[in-house]
Amino acid sequence: MTRLTVERDAGLAAGGSAQPSGSPAGAADAGSPRIRRPRRAGRNRRTRDTRAAVAFLTPSLIAFAIFVFAPSIAVVVLSFFRWNLLSDGTFIGVDNFVRLFSDTRLADVYRSTAFMAVVILAVNVVIGLLLAVLLETRMPNWLRGFFRLSFLFPFVVSSSAVALIWRFLLNKDLGLVNYWLGLIGIDRIDWLGSSFWAPISVIIVSSWKTVGFSILIYIAGLQSIPTEIREAAIVDGANAWQRFFRITLPLLSPTVLFLLVINTISAFQLFAEPKVLTGGGPGDASRTIVQYIYDLAFGAFDLGYASAVGLTLLVVLIVLTTIQFRVSKKWTHYQ
Amino acid sequence: MKRTTRKLAALSIAATISAATLTACSAGGGSDADSNSLNVAFWDYGPAAQANNKALAEGFEAANPGVTVELTPVAGENWGSYYANVATSIAAGNRPDLMLISGEGAQFVTNNDLILPINDYLENDPDAQAIQDGIAPGLIAGFTVDEQVVTLANQWNDMVVYYNTDVFAAAGLEAPSADWTWDDFEATAAALTKDTDGDGEPEQYGFTWASNEIFPGIMPWVANAGGNLTDDAVCTPTVDTPEVSEAVGFLNELIEKKIAPAPMPMSDVFTRFQNGTIAMFGAGRWPIGTFVPAGFTAFDIQLYPTGETYKTVFGGAGYPILKSSANPDLAWEFQKFTVSEDIQNAIVGTPEAPGDSIPSLRAAADTISEVGVPPVNSDLFYASIDDYDTLVPYPAPTNYSEYEAAVLRNLQLIFAGEVGVDEGLATMQGELESIVTCS
Repeated sequence: MTRLTVERDAGLAAGGSAQPSGSPAGAADAGSPRIRRPRRAGRNRRTRDTRAAVAFLTPSLIAFAIFVFAPSIAVVVLSFFRWNLLSDGTFIGVDNFVRLFSDTRLADVYRSTAFMAVVILAVNVVIGLLLAVLLETRMPNWLRGFFRLSFLFPFVVSSSAVALIWRFLLNKDLGLVNYWLGLIGIDRIDWLGSSFWAPISVIIVSSWKTVGFSILIYIAGLQSIPTEIREAAIVDGANAWQRFFRITLPLLSPTVLFLLVINTISAFQLFAEPKVLTGGGPGDASRTIVQYIYDLAFGAFDLGYASAVGLTLLVVLIVLTTIQFRVSKKWTHYQ
Repeated sequence: MKRTTRKLAALSIAATISAATLTACSAGGGSDADSNSLNVAFWDYGPAAQANNKALAEGFEAANPGVTVELTPVAGENWGSYYANVATSIAAGNRPDLMLISGEGAQFVTNNDLILPINDYLENDPDAQAIQDGIAPGLIAGFTVDEQVVTLANQWNDMVVYYNTDVFAAAGLEAPSADWTWDDFEATAAALTKDTDGDGEPEQYGFTWASNEIFPGIMPWVANAGGNLTDDAVCTPTVDTPEVSEAVGFLNELIEKKIAPAPMPMSDVFTRFQNGTIAMFGAGRWPIGTFVPAGFTAFDIQLYPTGETYKTVFGGAGYPILKSSANPDLAWEFQKFTVSEDIQNAIVGTPEAPGDSIPSLRAAADTISEVGVPPVNSDLFYASIDDYDTLVPYPAPTNYSEYEAAVLRNLQLIFAGEVGVDEGLATMQGELESIVTCS
């Protein structure tokens, strides 16, 4: 312990300009471990560190302020106004929030959003884990690389481009999907035009696009589990299921929590896929809450009410994330 | 030390907030009064729009040495979303001198106090009367709100039925005539529908219409049933009337009888019409700008079939002067230039590169056939507004984007067979009552 402390101090001293003259850096190594750094040198060093930290952080802070902080404040302020982008805004108190309770479409949109989000979340967390485990089983490296690339590729492609291609694939009359289904005797499905199938289409496309990211994170998690533990379990006679449920899954629980949080937030922010695939229709069957906010703001020019709806989404996500963190304490194991 | 840290942190936050504030407050676009420059916003729906507006700007610059025209392309999947994006741009501080609008946007720009009406220019400019005389009166009326003339229309479109001549020939059908009725139309569409693999689902449909726009979608049918989506003042929705129900019911029956698929985005309609899996659809002149350059010329046009009545559904487009323009007189000159002979002839186009709308000047439009621009029946375009009744006013309230979205959303449910026609229209009426208002 003492040795480590000395090394750290020596390293800091070597890099510091306030090193007393006649006391070269090597002196710290050769000298007493109890040598104390001069207070002034430490203060200067911390000042320099602070300056460096600020210099490095400022660009990010500026971007954060412009693109996140300022708009967030604006949303809160706007939610108390009636404003159509072109005229002066009118302060209307809490009217926009009162309107939330009489907006019948809002409940429908939240219902469809929640349905799609839950299924997409389940696919990412459960199917993603299954695929990641399969990819970590024994197979030739080229095959593993092929599968990893295949799963990850959709994730890096633009959502709009992906949705556009799927729109053709899922076309009722000319789409390849219905053609293939027809070959096995299944009638054409109105993937994009019926209230039942439209949200399912969005789920399929969105899950297909995002599951690669979950697989990637799971693989990283799986590879961080020490092999000694598994080997010990094998020696103790644990079978594959027992090793998975008693060792792999518990040690992977922080990764699962991370994916739960990230995928919940991203699933509730789904926009491009339903916008391009179905336009949110028919009716509001596949409309997401973010799409609804967009429509209110830039279709109806109702910026104030759109901001109020946006704040409800913020509250929903905070509540869901808080619940996830609270509940996760019971099942998350950190190494 | 702590003081230093605080200073640095404060400095950093101040710099951050200042940068954010400066960014938020900065304004761009628009001209300044001292320069001979104009900024023109237009709907960038594709290469044709870019080329047309570029030619317009360059032509004006050439005709007016020392003047510069800056173009601001604005994206949008339809006119409604284009207006939304322009509004966003204006709210962000951009101030174009002129912006392209269609008839759907006349109420929007007027009631938001965005434009400078051109009544004074029309009264005082010695060229104005000659220009107006060369334009169909309906095109002037279409851009008049509360006796204020919003703009000169420099191009326009009327809704006609496109039919694939190869598909007609393969089915052994004669080309439709201008006096065909809804019954004739349905019989023709049924004859053009084919289930080639015998699975009970057609591979080739007789007709379809756009799902993403009202104008080339249900409007011609509503107009020919004798109805409209709003009252004459465009202050009250009228979608729960028997006329609208009849029109929407007729289209819904085409779907139920499997003569038409559920409506689809216009881009999909184009594709399927060219490959022959859709035999007929409705649109203005704009598909020609896509079909002909792609080498597809096996099509012609006809008027929509007559129902209880016949009314041409049309919409113009023009470049109104914005109130915020620093150079309104120069902007007026630009607007006049958009209806000049050269520009109008450019809208006609050539057989290889046809324009994608109808010139407003009758003299220019009459040359489409002479120039040899497809289709054969092109004279019908201008004749439809000169020789037939027109649907005026166009049902486009101030909140056009919201209105169009509500109409299309409810129609989706009807055409998907998930709600009945009258039930769906009643729901639509309820929604529109808070959108289509003049209060």
